[in-house]
Amino acid sequence: MSELADRIADYARHRLGDAVERVDGVERIHGGASRETYRFRLHTRDAGGSRERRLILRRDPPGSLIETDRAIEFNAYRAFHGTSVPVPEPLWLEEDSRWLDHPFFVMEEIPDLEARPQMVVAPPYDAHAEKMGLQKWTILGEISRADPQERGLVGVMEGVSAEGAWERELSHWVGVIDEDELAPQPIVRAAIRWLRAHPPPPAQKIAVVHGDFRTGNFLYDTEGRIHAILDWEMAHLGDPLEDLAWGINRVWCWARDDRVGGLLPKPRAIRVWEEASGLRADPEALHWWELFSCVKGQAIWLSSAREFQDGKNQDPILALAAWMQVNAQDRAALELMGRLT
Amino acid sequence: MKPEISRVLEVCAIGLMGDVAPHVAPSYRQATVFSTAVILSSVREELDRIAERRVVENAALRALFADATSVVSDPGLRQRLESASAGSDTDYRISALDAANDALRALLIELHVQVESLDSDAARRLESEIWRELSKSTERRKLSLGAF
Repeated sequence: MSELADRIADYARHRLGDAVERVDGVERIHGGASRETYRFRLHTRDAGGSRERRLILRRDPPGSLIETDRAIEFNAYRAFHGTSVPVPEPLWLEEDSRWLDHPFFVMEEIPDLEARPQMVVAPPYDAHAEKMGLQKWTILGEISRADPQERGLVGVMEGVSAEGAWERELSHWVGVIDEDELAPQPIVRAAIRWLRAHPPPPAQKIAVVHGDFRTGNFLYDTEGRIHAILDWEMAHLGDPLEDLAWGINRVWCWARDDRVGGLLPKPRAIRVWEEASGLRADPEALHWWELFSCVKGQAIWLSSAREFQDGKNQDPILALAAWMQVNAQDRAALELMGRLT
Repeated sequence: MKPEISRVLEVCAIGLMGDVAPHVAPSYRQATVFSTAVILSSVREELDRIAERRVVENAALRALFADATSVVSDPGLRQRLESASAGSDTDYRISALDAANDALRALLIELHVQVESLDSDAARRLESEIWRELSKSTERRKLSLGAF
């Protein structure tokens, strides 16, 4: 890692000049499946003396679970930093591969917190499930309430009409399944046919959609406080119900009961989101987006299997995600279609 | 193979989780070791049923196709259903059973599309049978590590 530390230090000098003393403590960590994530310490010196800052590097890998634009992720962090939606401070976005072989961005590290989804149902965190759930769905409501224009994201993210949001998203993820499935998928194909035959009403508004808002993508402490929303790699403009539906997907019920995300019962999570967003979760529209979220999820798990099988990325977590979630996602789709017996 | 494969996998998984992973740094490599241990546990869970669930499912799909031939209206599809329903598994290697299963499930999608377009009581009954089989297929594949 010392070579990488030196290269990061060279880049930091490019940004900050001679104030940069060194980079150390470079360590690869798990942090989303689409980018390589490293933590490191940046040491600088100025008139006030030496400073150490703990930072995160998110670098594009040769192959990834989800192909995304790092500029969108970086700009999503920038859009919400300093607002009621807690996110780490984004520092630098670098598209030039000469520095670290691939494009990357750097942001603040918020250290010594938990992110693993299964831990919300384990001590000491499980005692704070309700508190965490209230924060989680309130924060999502704040994201849905935000004006993309005011947040500076119009132009950064591709625009879409209220009438066309569902079709764009569905076509995108069906395309991923068409490209990546390793075996026929009769359940998700039936779900896709139903979704196309029963389109949802136009979106109430075009909102910022996080794209992967779920337990596992935020940092929390032992008192159940949420400190940062992470992994904005699939952020886009669209129907805010898309985020709500994704977050309440059955495959994230880590407590194996009716608490969505392992935190709150579904009706309560929806009410909290409605209050915070000022929007309504029309049951029929939400049902459409819930089934859509099964298609989207299946696309991600099938891509994960494909990446591993083809050798583009052989992190065992990709194989495990595919084994664990393809079946759970099929069952979730069957349940939503009233066909799980 | 003795000791039994499932026992070997169990011991290896427990060893990786309990003895190896805690002593591995950095955390990324530790998580990789842990994931590998969970994969071994999942293989152990799948191992005992690995051929059985494929044989059972392939037989169920062939029986479903036999019932469907009197319902579908498309002659080409009917012919493929008849041909598929007359088949059987004779090669019990997993690769062979998987290839047969893929072909049968591709045909099931075709049948499902056709049945959805038909307006008859027989078509609705067949559609219900298809959904029942799809639900059973998820039970056959269920792994204990999933959240649902």
